[in-house]
Amino acid sequence: MNVNDYLIVATIIFCIGALGVLIRKNLITIFLSLELMFNAANLGFVAVSEYLNLISGDIFVIFIMVVAAAEAAILLGIAIAFYREKGTINIDDANELKF
Amino acid sequence: MEALFYIFSIIAIVSALMVILVKSPLTSALYIILCFFALAGFYILLNMQFLAAMQIMVYAGAIAVIIVLVIMLLNLAKIKGAIKDFHQIAISIIAIGLFTLEVILYLNAAGEKKPTGIYTNTVINKIGNTQIIGEFLFTKYVFPFEVASILLLVAVIGAYIFAKK
Repeated sequence: MNVNDYLIVATIIFCIGALGVLIRKNLITIFLSLELMFNAANLGFVAVSEYLNLISGDIFVIFIMVVAAAEAAILLGIAIAFYREKGTINIDDANELKF
Repeated sequence: MEALFYIFSIIAIVSALMVILVKSPLTSALYIILCFFALAGFYILLNMQFLAAMQIMVYAGAIAVIIVLVIMLLNLAKIKGAIKDFHQIAISIIAIGLFTLEVILYLNAAGEKKPTGIYTNTVINKIGNTQIIGEFLFTKYVFPFEVASILLLVAVIGAYIFAKK
């Protein structure tokens, strides 16, 4: 398969993730859309790294997985704290800093 | 190979669409696990079996389980209006659709680039997939590796402080 086909699939998945961040209100679903964007970037790295006969892209994917795991822990901690405070995880209720 | 690529891409794109379209967060989490498995199939097609195993273990194993656990802890039944109003959705869809179109046009217009590295598929298969990643991770990329461990420590402490009452 051509590298362009992999990159087009990665682009479509990335844009679906970005659309999910824009149109959803639920904090958990926004987090899932962020994970979709991470995974699309990973697919692009692996495809280009295989096309150029390099290993660096594959190593980078491992570091992106580390960052995604750290982000999952932090964001779900925020979700639990927010739910304790408000009783909901609708992001429209996160307006404490609004003037 | 070609047929497998199309099967994996259809599964990945349809499950990614379902993640952002279904109402229940738990169903979204199950669809994203399906999407992770399809992406692991892509990594196997790209001759990176170690990354496919990591994808299934870290994403489908660890992260998805944490998400499902948090959904279990929170009572999400009373969230109303999970999607924003029509005007915002229309603008978002047009903007994102334009972006997709532009990137695909750019990819089709981009010129050929000659492969620069020495790690072709035969070389990787001769040395061994896991071994070559391990060698790179502990020699050339050892400093980012240590920084990643510190990042994980900070994330653990941060999650504890956030979730503590």
